[in-house]
Amino acid sequence: VEEESGQELGLDRSTPKDFHFYHMDLHDSEDRLQLFPEENTRMRKEVVQAEMANESRGAGDGKAQRDLQEEVDELVHLYGLEDDHELRDEFVDENMPRTGVSEYPPYVMKRRDPAREQRDWRPSGETAEAEDLGFGGWGSAGQCQDLREAYRYTHGRASEEYECYVIPEEEDEEEAADVFCVTCKTPIRAFQKVFDEHKEHEVIPLNEALESAKDEIHKNMYKLEKQIIQMENFANHLEEVFITVEENFGKQEQNFESHYNEILETLAQKYEEKIQALGEKKKEKLEALYGQLVSCGENLDTCKELMETIEEMCHEEKVDFIKLGKFLKAKTDVEISAQPEFEDQTLDFSDVEQLMGSINTIPAPSAPVINPQAPNSATGSSVRVCWSLYSDDTVESYQLSYRPVQDSSPGKDQAAFTVTVKETYCSVTNLVPNTQYEFWVTAHNRAGPSPSSEHAVYMTAPSPPIIKTKEIRSCEEAVLICWESGNLNPVDSYTVELTQAESPEASGVTESVVGIPTCESLVQLQPGRSYIICVRALNTGGPSVRSEPATVHTIGSYFRLNKDTCHPWLIISEDGLTVVRSERRIPARELSSSDTRFTRCVAVMGNLIPVRGHHYWEVEVDEHLDYTVGVAFEDVTKQEDLGANCLSWCMRHTFASSRHRYEFLHNRTTPDIRITVPPKKIGILLDYENSKLSFFNVDLSQHLYTFSCQLHEFVHPCFSLETPGCLKVHNGISMPKHVTFY
Amino acid sequence: YFWRRMALTQISSNKCFGGLQKVFEHDSVELNCKMKFAAYLPPKAETEKCPALYWLSGLTSTEQNFISKSGYHQAASERGLAVIAPDTSPRGCNIKGEDESWDFGTGAGFYVDTTEDPWKTNYRMYSYVMEELPQLINASFLVDPQRMSICGHSMGDHGVLICALKNPGNYKSVSAFAPICSPVLCPWGKRVFSGYLGTDQSKGKAYDATRSQLDILIDQGKDDQFLLGGQLLPDNFIAACTEKKIPIVFRLQEGYEHSYYFIATFITDHIRHHAKYLNAWKTPNKRISSGL
Repeated sequence: VEEESGQELGLDRSTPKDFHFYHMDLHDSEDRLQLFPEENTRMRKEVVQAEMANESRGAGDGKAQRDLQEEVDELVHLYGLEDDHELRDEFVDENMPRTGVSEYPPYVMKRRDPAREQRDWRPSGETAEAEDLGFGGWGSAGQCQDLREAYRYTHGRASEEYECYVIPEEEDEEEAADVFCVTCKTPIRAFQKVFDEHKEHEVIPLNEALESAKDEIHKNMYKLEKQIIQMENFANHLEEVFITVEENFGKQEQNFESHYNEILETLAQKYEEKIQALGEKKKEKLEALYGQLVSCGENLDTCKELMETIEEMCHEEKVDFIKLGKFLKAKTDVEISAQPEFEDQTLDFSDVEQLMGSINTIPAPSAPVINPQAPNSATGSSVRVCWSLYSDDTVESYQLSYRPVQDSSPGKDQAAFTVTVKETYCSVTNLVPNTQYEFWVTAHNRAGPSPSSEHAVYMTAPSPPIIKTKEIRSCEEAVLICWESGNLNPVDSYTVELTQAESPEASGVTESVVGIPTCESLVQLQPGRSYIICVRALNTGGPSVRSEPATVHTIGSYFRLNKDTCHPWLIISEDGLTVVRSERRIPARELSSSDTRFTRCVAVMGNLIPVRGHHYWEVEVDEHLDYTVGVAFEDVTKQEDLGANCLSWCMRHTFASSRHRYEFLHNRTTPDIRITVPPKKIGILLDYENSKLSFFNVDLSQHLYTFSCQLHEFVHPCFSLETPGCLKVHNGISMPKHVTFY
Repeated sequence: YFWRRMALTQISSNKCFGGLQKVFEHDSVELNCKMKFAAYLPPKAETEKCPALYWLSGLTSTEQNFISKSGYHQAASERGLAVIAPDTSPRGCNIKGEDESWDFGTGAGFYVDTTEDPWKTNYRMYSYVMEELPQLINASFLVDPQRMSICGHSMGDHGVLICALKNPGNYKSVSAFAPICSPVLCPWGKRVFSGYLGTDQSKGKAYDATRSQLDILIDQGKDDQFLLGGQLLPDNFIAACTEKKIPIVFRLQEGYEHSYYFIATFITDHIRHHAKYLNAWKTPNKRISSGL
């Protein structure tokens, strides 16, 4: 216990020394580099010596062991002291106040486990870490960490190694030990276990102990290797630091020199100014005195003259004597015009003082250069702003200011926001999508702020568009997709992204259609597939996130009924595929004629995709219903019946007196065709390539009629109900084979 | 297999639209005389079994009328149909009175098996057309016995409809030009037709349009002299078929009359009509569709 406490004291003493050890500052010398490896080897040498000594002394002697331990520890402390001496020369002034010994012992004591952790120097290491943070401006925390660890190893390991080597192969001759006392860390003879001091101790067979000791050695060797690598890396790093320090000092010298010269110049200038001022004053005063001297002489002459005149008068005793008063009135000026004493001239050295004061500081940085916005760097709510500084500048922080650009009211500038960062970039968040912001940046250091950089305009990415899923139309070869911008301001373009769903051969491949200026796009697709489609909006800032996806199947043609064309008497279902004419009617008189809405025939159009090729759809009808189905140009006269002009081609069914009548109407004419089985489902094939429109009875695969029609424009499906009832459109279905023969 | 013994004698062979238009002669067992028939073999018939379309000509015709006047070859060649056109009656049987009338005897077999003397030995055109000829064709040429269709003109339509309606499923499709002798149009034919169709309820069910693929295409010239003469009653015919749910598309063609000019105009439609069923037959004619 005594020994241990003694060691602890030693440790406590060495704790503050650690600080010196770790501190690497800008002004550190290179000597530190070699220190660690050297120390390491020295340490090891000592350990070996200790080991040998131990061997000679014989086993089973715990005391001897302890002595050794002490020796080694002392050695370690010695090195610590040595280091300390070396370092103290350099750091005394800076580090001394911080390393007050009295501050640490309680901390260390609290931490210390009296049993085995006596050699754990970690607590001091940790405090060192805390201290090191204060110097963060120079090296990274990682460097300090490396350094500390390295040091911890050299010290901690010394004792560990010692532990390992403490078990020599000395169990020979008469006193051969056969068990190992774990508690005392020493080989003992088995009988010793029974009595003696090892009575209560844990013992294991010596061979086992040997094995574990060997393992330990291997582990330690491995650790050492790692440590060597670490040290090498660290040495390289220190070299870099060395160069940097050299450079920094060079700069600092230059800086100091220029300041010094500046001050000298200023002083010289001041000297010149003062000398000149003094000279002028002197000249002025002398001139004044001279002038007074001259006038004084003149006065003297006058007096003398007067005296003579008076004397003459006295001699002559003339009545002229009365005139005398006149002469006496002449005054003599005896005031000294110029003060002989020197006026108190205060010298103003404040600017010089300021210059002197600034010698130790660095110059204020010059204005940073703000970069233009990098493409695709923005998101909907953030931009990444980058700038650069002149390499000579020392900058502690940057202040980045921004505000939204507003074209409408230039007078009312929005308040600018400012953030302070240490890096030469900043991701500014919580911005409004698709909006321009202007950014400017100033650099700061102890000397003050730099001038502001140029203002740069950055733009946030747009909000994602919203696909109008109900307006998607498709056919075997293409899809027409529409979307809402999702942004109040216009965006540059849109991108449509397609991914084939559940397709084994092309899974996950995304195709993109870029540069779409409008809110709709006709995209070519492969037939018989399923696609997942997303849209992004783009501006200079970058693309928005993807819109909600829409799924499209290229099986048959898919369309919905167009509500805009719907006769008021018709009701279209939610899915846009069923149209109902109810019994009740609004009087036809109230219907105003329209270009888009059917007002005379009770009809509605479908929104077929404007793609040439072929389109097939089916219409489910009640066989007693009067209906007309077919196609019409978009600009078909909405006030006429379907088939009553040359802009529509239709099949009309009328049911009267239990007879079905079928007409195939175009321009009011129809061929005479009788159909014996009334179709319940009519298939309609529109074939642009062959300019044909065919009608089929789906259930019978029966061909009913084929129009040859010149389709100079795109047509749309049309449906009309002449009597109350309903029609159901089936689309998105593949074309039955039988229709391909027509 | 008695017909095998009877050799086919090729009368002529002419290349036409890549295929061959041939005429053969053979000794008919049913008709007890030498019979000629025309057979068009499309280019496809060189490599694979083709479906066969039987053409039954009208009164006074031989096998030559159709092959020389209707101009069907191109359509048949493109769609790979073999076209068989038999003569309209036994010839040279030396039956008294057979050449006296244009609508009775030679050239007017009516495609029935006669039961009365002196006709019954030779005039068994129904059996000839229904049995002997197809068997001969199937044995002699590369045709698919499972795929047959039938088509005719005028009196031929009588045979067409009899054959088709009496043997549902035997023919994949049926079509007709100007069926003046259609069973429903004359008292005699009406009786026959209703006899075949009306009295046998179980067979009538087989003609259910929704169960049978038998889809009949009929073209009728509106200026046909027989129609104008009031002998045709298409409305009645249509009404009857409507009642029986026999799927018919009946097209009244404006300005056309009864001749082969009329046939030539619409023969392509008919070939296509048959091809739809004959060529689609390989794969069952089901709609391959799915909703969105």
